[in-house]
Amino acid sequence: MSITRRTLLKGVVVAGAATAVVGDAAAREPKESGQDSVGMLYDPTLCIGCRACVTKCKESNKLPFDRSADGIYDAPDDLNSTTKNIIKVAQLGGDKWSFMKRQCMHCVDPACVSACMMGALHREGEGTSDHPGEKKGTGVVLYDKSTCVGCRYCQIACPFNVPKFEWTKAFPLIVKCELCRHRGDEKKSGPLAIANPACCEACPREAVIYGKRTELLAIARKRQAASPEKYEAKIYGEKDGGGTQVLYLAPKGVTFQQLGLPAIGEESPAHFSEKVSHAPYLHGITPFALYGGAAALILRSRKKEAEAAQHGEGAHGEDK
Amino acid sequence: MSHAHSHHEPQPVGGKLFDPLMKVLVGLFAIGAAVIVYRLFAGVGPVSAMSDGYAWGIWEPVNVVVFTGIGAGAYSVGLLCYLLNQGKYHPLVRPAVLLGAIAYSLGGSSIIIALGRYWNSYWLFVPSLWNLGSVLLEVAVCVITYVSVLWIEVLPSVLDGAAQSSSSKWARIGKTWGPKLQKAMPFIIALAMVLPTMHQSSLGGLMLIAPTKVHPLWHTWALPTLGLISCLSMGFGAVVILTTILKYAWNAEADTRLFADLSKVNGGLLFLFSALRLVDIGVQGKFGHLLDGGHKPFFFVLEMVLFLVPAFMFFSPKVQKNRGKLFRAALMAVAAGALWRVDAYLTAFDAGTGWEYMPSLGETAVTVGMAAIGMAAFIVVCRLFPVVTIASRPHTSNLRATGTASGR
Repeated sequence: MSITRRTLLKGVVVAGAATAVVGDAAAREPKESGQDSVGMLYDPTLCIGCRACVTKCKESNKLPFDRSADGIYDAPDDLNSTTKNIIKVAQLGGDKWSFMKRQCMHCVDPACVSACMMGALHREGEGTSDHPGEKKGTGVVLYDKSTCVGCRYCQIACPFNVPKFEWTKAFPLIVKCELCRHRGDEKKSGPLAIANPACCEACPREAVIYGKRTELLAIARKRQAASPEKYEAKIYGEKDGGGTQVLYLAPKGVTFQQLGLPAIGEESPAHFSEKVSHAPYLHGITPFALYGGAAALILRSRKKEAEAAQHGEGAHGEDK
Repeated sequence: MSHAHSHHEPQPVGGKLFDPLMKVLVGLFAIGAAVIVYRLFAGVGPVSAMSDGYAWGIWEPVNVVVFTGIGAGAYSVGLLCYLLNQGKYHPLVRPAVLLGAIAYSLGGSSIIIALGRYWNSYWLFVPSLWNLGSVLLEVAVCVITYVSVLWIEVLPSVLDGAAQSSSSKWARIGKTWGPKLQKAMPFIIALAMVLPTMHQSSLGGLMLIAPTKVHPLWHTWALPTLGLISCLSMGFGAVVILTTILKYAWNAEADTRLFADLSKVNGGLLFLFSALRLVDIGVQGKFGHLLDGGHKPFFFVLEMVLFLVPAFMFFSPKVQKNRGKLFRAALMAVAAGALWRVDAYLTAFDAGTGWEYMPSLGETAVTVGMAAIGMAAFIVVCRLFPVVTIASRPHTSNLRATGTASGR
């Protein structure tokens, strides 16, 4: 017996170590935000909490009301399968508070897209199936129900808890903000040709505005520079989680975590997951090498066994 | 092939199919099945406690990740027996492969029930749609393939049974196809070694993508490697448990020396898992999280105890000579892997403030029903087909008097 159990254990150790070493060597490229990518900028210091954006979002996306107990008001307390956009009140301690808008962040390297088995959630024009009319480069994260199996891995993966599931339906969908891609108008110029978020159109105070991500970043910096006493210096989404196309400013002295956004490093979870899980595959060689090796070993054992059987009963000693 | 120089051939256990145990198992499944039917009309929400925060509940971590960990007995014994040519483990192979085929089939069917849009799953057979970045895709494709491979691995038992059949038609089928299949088996078995290596790592790695939700004591780059090691230790443990039960129920052959050897391998795996995990947490400087509030540090310590106690037990000569103690250590080894898996997916998963999860009765009924029908299927196949190798010497356990032994 040339191969022992110790060899097996050694093999496992080596495989583990290889995962670690190769993990860095064969890293997947981080995704970058393109020049044409569009998004939104939300500024809590301008928001008056009128919730016009919530209502307009429901109208434009034909979403039913999430009624309050008395049945009169549309009163969702969080994003849900009938609410793609919401204004919340973030408690900041003491009697201080701030308004906060939540919807899909349209990540540059989205965890939901990495998680999605067959490209049902995909960046516009970058899905696994052909979607006529989609333009590559906008970075809008779209949903195609035709290849969605409802596995909900997107919900596990999304650090912002954005995708919602229709729990009480026999034929459910995943529901999330698609940046009102359907309201884009080809005849218009600039970002409005790509999409036209109803929430931005409805906002009376420009607390949430729509545009190219690069321009939104410039506007955010300008606001910070004009009134440094009013804003925190950080723009959430510029780099967080690999970057998001929806960007946030924070009032001076308030952290983004207080506003309800997760503390997340600059590496996108999608990048980390794909880098680590792809590494041992060595660009697809490993499974074939393992298969060939396994088949060769089994055939050799079998040959030995056949020979041993021919040599009669004495072969029993081989096993011990 | 495999039994060319073996004294004992596997044989059908025989006996009454609908004994009281079978009635209980089928009854439990019927309750689960009722919940499943209701779920098809009402949606996943009404039968479960799942929410947008805890989107997987217990079905994914228990029915899929734990069941397949137990089913990895087929993989672990196969590795020893075929790749390392340890022929002495052959009597364990058929029961382990049957256990694997059943456990994986249950995992696969549980997923279909959990999928919101299950009718779309046929798209998984269209490779051009695959998102290769998705860890779950790798799991899904690999598990679907592996379930087929496992049932092909069960076929030799069925064909053997057919060959011994009194019906000449069945005997002819068995005698024609049995040897043909034997020729193809090395290539099937090789696949049965590669596929679990891939998907058990991926099952471990599913949570790589949730660094903000999975507690730092669990979230690490090493998740896939830990998943792979834990499936081997769960698999070896499951085989020892299974064989011990088969011995007492049906007087199956169960060589304690064989168990002792198997246990040393398992002890090594449990140590390896613990060492990798502890060193990784140390290197990343995350031991401070042991002082975090809540239930998570408790579960971490419980896991480490469950991994290390059987690891030491397996290497103790006293334990190795004692069937009962080996059985207990094996139970702990399976529990350790199962707990680590459930923790990484659920207990150590924090969706954020405002989200809570406790499995509902409906979800639990489905999980229990699935486990029950799995046991029932195992018993039926063993009674009808040559899976279990019965010991030639009568043994003295009074359990044999229950009438479940062969000879009817």
